[in-house]
Amino acid sequence: MSRTLAPAHSAPPRPPTRPRSPRSTRQRPALGLSLGVALVLLFAGIRMFAPESVGDVLSNSVQDFFTLSISVVIESLPFVFLGILLSIVVQVWLPEGFLLRHLPRNVVARRVTISLLGVLLPVCECGNVPLARGLILRGLTVGESLTFLLAAPILNPVTIITTYQAFGWSDGILVARILGGFVIANLIGWIYSRHSSPMSLLTPKFQASCAHAHDEVRTTRTRRSVDMFTAETAAMLPALFVGSAIAGLIQVGVSRDLLVTLGQNPVLSVFALMALAFVISICSNVDAFFILAFGSTFMPGAIVAFLVFGPMIDVKMLALMRTTFTARTLVQLTVIVGLASAALGLAVNTIA
Amino acid sequence: MLERLIARWQGILLALIGIVATVWLAATDRLGLYIHPRYFWFTVIMAAIAAVFVVVAFAMTPLREPADEATDAAAPAERGQPDDHDHEHAHDHAHDEAPRSPVRGSLRVALAATILVGAAASLLVLPPATLTSATASQRSINSSGATLEQSGPALVGGDTSQFTVKDWALLLRQNPDAEYFADQAIQVTGFVTESPDDPDNVFYVARFVVTCCAVDAQPVGVPVYLPGWAERFEPDEWVAASGAIVPNPAGSSALPLLMEPTDLTVIEQPDQPYVF
Repeated sequence: MSRTLAPAHSAPPRPPTRPRSPRSTRQRPALGLSLGVALVLLFAGIRMFAPESVGDVLSNSVQDFFTLSISVVIESLPFVFLGILLSIVVQVWLPEGFLLRHLPRNVVARRVTISLLGVLLPVCECGNVPLARGLILRGLTVGESLTFLLAAPILNPVTIITTYQAFGWSDGILVARILGGFVIANLIGWIYSRHSSPMSLLTPKFQASCAHAHDEVRTTRTRRSVDMFTAETAAMLPALFVGSAIAGLIQVGVSRDLLVTLGQNPVLSVFALMALAFVISICSNVDAFFILAFGSTFMPGAIVAFLVFGPMIDVKMLALMRTTFTARTLVQLTVIVGLASAALGLAVNTIA
Repeated sequence: MLERLIARWQGILLALIGIVATVWLAATDRLGLYIHPRYFWFTVIMAAIAAVFVVVAFAMTPLREPADEATDAAAPAERGQPDDHDHEHAHDHAHDEAPRSPVRGSLRVALAATILVGAAASLLVLPPATLTSATASQRSINSSGATLEQSGPALVGGDTSQFTVKDWALLLRQNPDAEYFADQAIQVTGFVTESPDDPDNVFYVARFVVTCCAVDAQPVGVPVYLPGWAERFEPDEWVAASGAIVPNPAGSSALPLLMEPTDLTVIEQPDQPYVF
């Protein structure tokens, strides 16, 4: 990060192909703002003048696919925004090092505290990877960073509230999710704390950037906040929209008989929903709403396995973590977390 | 260039689509087609706050240059699958430093564009709609344990003119005895959907019960006995029905009690089609 830092009030860095004339520097914010307002008006205009009815063009099933998918988006979106806002507050507006300064010295107590950091950081898993990278740069061990990464998406107020909204206290789903997430995250932290050379778990590229730790990009907090909002929405919303579409598709496309057959089997149901969690990669803040539709079809243990495994490991999360950890580490992690989640789900099914 | 633009603006544009759709639904009083009313204020307030960020984001270009993407939350997401390009972690370094292939670049652009267009089409162009009888039959009417285990309203002394389809469905399930409903007039409104047990003679006047959002909607309904009903009513038509509860003339155990209609009128879909 050796590039020159622009003062906050002047032009932001731009692609090198753009000319850096002072004239365009001054005009940029106004231009961007007008573009933004124009887009808002365009979208609002499309919405207001779109036809009020499409007649019978869409069959009932296609119509319901859209209604169901849209309802997941509309329900989840405010929670995603809330998570982003809170993570902006913690990462940008709280003093630097605020989170790490008061950690206990005892390693077990330290891991337990780290696994509860998510209470202050109610972001879903996608927002945690950059944060965990920052924490490693500031002195967290690799094992501790994994504990944080796995626990924070589950042990945070937004996830707990949405899970409660969706399931209440029924079948112990909420309790099993919280305890299961806590135990698995601490288990992983303990396992990797015994690794002989933890730095080898990290990609060489990231190891190199550890050497540049503490190089902060200096700029105004407002700009950093907006920048984070841009980055976080870019990471989360595509996954949310695709996940919602898949949720709608399964609801109308997969026959109810098949779902019921799968869902009522104490073993198959657990693995079916874990596979689903892995593929759809929906954010932990809102995954409870997503799986609610299956609540009457699938056994509670399967729902718990979905709600514990999904936030820790899924396609999107592996892609994000691959920036920091080696492929080999991620394969081990996936296997251990998968086995632990399956065991938890099967146990809940046995008890329930 | 296009790839960079999309990586930078995809999130903001998707957020904007969601915000415009949410605010418009709230302004036209149709948010209830998708979510439970208890979320209305929260949803609108968060949309308003996010709208401020979106507008400011347009006025400020993002902070970091693409070269700095290693510290950028958005960048890893566009990096593609985790395991598709390395077989041994010893080679990680070389691969991480390698330039991105143009094919994967255009794939990413195509995927991002598809998501954007799909989101805009379904949230901004498509007219809002309620769930249909297709979902009612997919989810088996009156099958949801959780919905129908609530205690029903008091029939004796209750104001039955205010009872919804859900209230009657609860009462019918909990009191499978025709005596209980003797001399009791019943009025319900709901949409028509056929009974899987006896499709020729029986249809349901049905509604969806929503606990959180439309995804968890569970159909409930009052079975109506009317041989040849399909000649008079289409599925998904909204009707107001009144009549009395009688034992099933066919003696079916799946449907011990039915409504015998005295009056059936086709009506407009109500503003709030779901019950809560």
